[in-house]
Amino acid sequence: MSSRPHLSRVGTALCGTVLVIAFLGACRERPLEGALVVTQAPARGARLAGKADILDRRYPPGSRVVLVSKVGAETRSLVLSPGLLAAGGPVVSPDGQRILFAGRGASEDWQIYEANLRGAKPRRITSMKGGAAMPAFINNRKIVFCSLEGTPDLYAQVDEEDPVRLTFRPQGASDPAVLRDGRILFASKWSSSNAQGLFTINNDGTELTPFALDRDGAAHVERPRESSNGRILFVARNDREAWGESVRLARPFATRERLDLPPGSCVSIEPAEDDSILACLAPAGKSSSVIARLKGGSAAQVAATFDDPAWNEIEAVPVLARTVPMGHISAVLPGKRTGTILCLDANFTRRAAGAKALPRAVRVRVLSGDAGRPQPLGEVPLQPDGSFMAEVPADQPIGFESLTAEGQVLQRIAPSIWVRPGENRTCLGCHEPYNRSPRNLRPMAVTSPPHKFGVEPRQIARGNP
Amino acid sequence: MKLRAVISAGLAGCMVFAALGIGARSWAMAHVRRWSGRPELGFVTCNHCHLQNLEKIAWAKPHPGHASPAGLVASPDGKKLYAALDELDEVVEIDVIAQKVARKVRVEGAPFGLAIGDSGERLFVACRDKDRVVAISTRELRMVDQAEVGDGPVAITFCKTAAGDRLVVANSNSDNASILAAEPLKEIARPRAGREPYAVAPSPDGSSVFVANRLAVPETYLSVAESELTVIDPAGGRIKKRALLHSAHLAEGAAVVPGRDWCLVPIINVRNLVPITQVANGWVMSSGLALQEANGRLTQLPLDEAHAFFADPSGIAVHPSGKIAAIASGGSDTITILDLERLACWLGKSSGEDRAEAAQDLTLSPEYVLARVPTGRNPRQLTFSPDGRILFVAERLDDSVAFLNTETWQTLGRIRMGNGGLDDPIRRGERVFTSAAHTFQRQFSCRSCHPDGAVDGLSYDFDGDGIGDNLVDNRSLKGVAGTEPLKWIGKNPTLEIQCGPRFARVLMRTDPIPDPELRDLTTFLRSQPPANWKGPRRAPLTTAQERGKAIFFATKTSAGTPIPRGRQCHTCHRPPLFTNRLLASVGSKGARDSTDMFDTPHLLGVGLSAPYLHDGRAKTLEELWTIYQTNDLHGVTSYMNKHQLNDMIEFLKTL
Repeated sequence: MSSRPHLSRVGTALCGTVLVIAFLGACRERPLEGALVVTQAPARGARLAGKADILDRRYPPGSRVVLVSKVGAETRSLVLSPGLLAAGGPVVSPDGQRILFAGRGASEDWQIYEANLRGAKPRRITSMKGGAAMPAFINNRKIVFCSLEGTPDLYAQVDEEDPVRLTFRPQGASDPAVLRDGRILFASKWSSSNAQGLFTINNDGTELTPFALDRDGAAHVERPRESSNGRILFVARNDREAWGESVRLARPFATRERLDLPPGSCVSIEPAEDDSILACLAPAGKSSSVIARLKGGSAAQVAATFDDPAWNEIEAVPVLARTVPMGHISAVLPGKRTGTILCLDANFTRRAAGAKALPRAVRVRVLSGDAGRPQPLGEVPLQPDGSFMAEVPADQPIGFESLTAEGQVLQRIAPSIWVRPGENRTCLGCHEPYNRSPRNLRPMAVTSPPHKFGVEPRQIARGNP
Repeated sequence: MKLRAVISAGLAGCMVFAALGIGARSWAMAHVRRWSGRPELGFVTCNHCHLQNLEKIAWAKPHPGHASPAGLVASPDGKKLYAALDELDEVVEIDVIAQKVARKVRVEGAPFGLAIGDSGERLFVACRDKDRVVAISTRELRMVDQAEVGDGPVAITFCKTAAGDRLVVANSNSDNASILAAEPLKEIARPRAGREPYAVAPSPDGSSVFVANRLAVPETYLSVAESELTVIDPAGGRIKKRALLHSAHLAEGAAVVPGRDWCLVPIINVRNLVPITQVANGWVMSSGLALQEANGRLTQLPLDEAHAFFADPSGIAVHPSGKIAAIASGGSDTITILDLERLACWLGKSSGEDRAEAAQDLTLSPEYVLARVPTGRNPRQLTFSPDGRILFVAERLDDSVAFLNTETWQTLGRIRMGNGGLDDPIRRGERVFTSAAHTFQRQFSCRSCHPDGAVDGLSYDFDGDGIGDNLVDNRSLKGVAGTEPLKWIGKNPTLEIQCGPRFARVLMRTDPIPDPELRDLTTFLRSQPPANWKGPRRAPLTTAQERGKAIFFATKTSAGTPIPRGRQCHTCHRPPLFTNRLLASVGSKGARDSTDMFDTPHLLGVGLSAPYLHDGRAKTLEELWTIYQTNDLHGVTSYMNKHQLNDMIEFLKTL
């Protein structure tokens, strides 16, 4: 008899627990429909005392990251970067629940902060000497960002662990974005031109590959983003203007296109749902920039989405859950200090139609160090099929010169590529055509072990500087 | 007193057990060393040689069949569509207008390929497991005739010739094609094709039939793979031409373009000779199309794009107008639509150098690819309706046939003949096996190197242990259950380890396959029987095979000299799996190999898994002993004469 009320109490408690769990679950799961994460800079911005870096100019003091959402007919703004002197460059996690952005506290460098979408105080997750900015999610736990001290480089960081340096180009690396296939896309200057190009690496820094903008791009390329319809969108900028461009994934070096945006300066663009584009524009004659949505990539279909006259809306990111990019199991061997370069044919090169054929190279000089002061590591003789294989120091810029028997330099790649420890890197040739598969031939160079230069690789700092 | 006695008894018991254990272990090691003839061996568990029962192995157990469509053919009036369901031994008739299965007929022997006569009265079925072709009356939907053909018939076509109506059949296991008179069914010739003929396509005038072969014929070690496109005169079976598709294999479809005299064959452009240091840019393989023109000119074109890959091209169909072709990509669940007029335009303006380089150029395919159409799981075969308005797609692992509108490429409807086998772990595992979803940029699937679980006949240079070192021959996954350890150096103790993170690192270059899918995948692999497994009731051996069997199990040479136990064939290749699952040295270490100890492969289906040895240097079984034998280390064979060696090989081919 006495057990019945007890059972009843247990049942009530269980039901209550289930209801609470269900309520919490329901509260947590869904990203905010139609919401945007927006960077706002004060329309009449304050200037930072002393020397301002590029981020200080992009996000002047008072800049903030806000969540803009619609509740009924009302548009609400919620500040997601409370307590920070300036903030900007937000990205939304694949699960649509969190954001990362670059923020600056009083008397602090720029660092990466993480925040939820409920307006809680953001949490600083990097402590990079000289600062960090331009974050992107590799997956829900791992991020990539750009260092700000000296030449910018990309770093990856898992949770609270030490960051790992991914890029080693003397020309720097910035504006990372993670493609759906897992590669990290970033902007960097070409070693032989003032233009910036787009490059990819795996999420462990291996397989550096030119992706688009073959030395004919703008001086600055910002915020490249992959759209759902197979294009990369980005902002291109020179001294006079900024504009939006896209390049098609299928034929990256052949199908660039300037976006048909309204007159005025394009501040940022971001792919949104339904193949539309969110663009932050600074229309001529207006005092503040606005967010517009482009459908079909045409200015004729621009619809103003949001404008707060007190602020310049300079970046807008839709709050969407999306598929986590493909992963990549790293083959990097942290204990090793070298990697291997295999070139299938150093005489394979792209030539303009009708250009005079070059004489054949018979050896390759391998360079190391900065692009301006390269140090020769040594020379490797080419096999009769033009192939060579060499063990080179890891995590430092490597370049090549192909040489005739008389020592004439035929092709030169200034130190601008690298291998990670234990990485086996292969290239088709020197300045070879892009997007080519190799011919199915066994290179003669692999019939013997890789050439070694006998130079002690110098130690490169990989951790948190 | 009592406690002390108990303790003493216990201690004594333990000592006795320990002594027995040590003694048994010593005896077991001595037993192994004696019977293996290898004094260096340590402790080896009993199940390497004993306690093996074929009936208890996963692949020998019956497993459920599914309504998976293989061949498809439409009736000449376009009102009926026929689909072969090989796993259920059925052929179904689909009412195209009502979009439903109207009738079905039982056809034993895994009906796979279908063809229909020009009057539409007779349906011809190639039965893969019964080595026969069956004629079915479409009026009554019943079998009216049958004829024996070569081994493993998988594709069949009908054509009218001056000598009468003919059927041409691709016999995948006997590497030949059967030419049959259509009525009554009678084989009139069986010319040799390439290796694993898998698709047939007639020219519109009936003067030629093109036979696409799935594998490259092994040539010299590390030569470029070349699969054959065999051109046959169907009237009498004469070979007209053997075109070689350069660095290409896994051709599973063929179609002729009316009005242009092109034969189109989807292929995989394989790059096995290049060390696998990356996957990007089609480094390991990419999808392509071989185009054979009437003038003999052969051009190989890419189907993939620089950042978008469409794995495992399989069936192909050409629109009756000759303007469009559709290619099924089984690994990517996509149909690629080609604009043949734009393709002709590109061919017209391209130079010889352009055409020679085309297969490597991943920026080229937008010149002629019109659309990529998503489908259900694992589209393999397709056919257009005679009026060209509908494209029928066999979605093999969804147990369905999709109807696509050929103007909009929207799905008009879908016939579901089963539930896709979602409740069957073997079927779920087959989905993982055939999908490219777990490879970087979805470039290839497990099936791309192991067609239907077997071999692609190629050697690869994985870079995990250094570039250029330790080349490995592709090993069959058929009959793999119970043969662990895996890998040529026996490094992987289980399939789960073999297919897990290691594979993701060295080949797929992505995250490992998640555990639930990995379990399904390994269940599927363990369910795969050896390549020519015909069940427990096998055909009796011929006299030559009996002689070969005696040689295989011989303990003495012909002269009566005893053969050392460690060099008798059956010591290492011990029945019933014909392996003792131990590493052994047979003198095959190459200059760049880091070890001379290699896993002893099982021999079930060995006749179909050329080339041989760990790096694939022996292109035939004969070469194992005529070229690559070293001091009788790989079994004592130096006493054999040519006939004895041939007899033994004949026996091996029966396993």
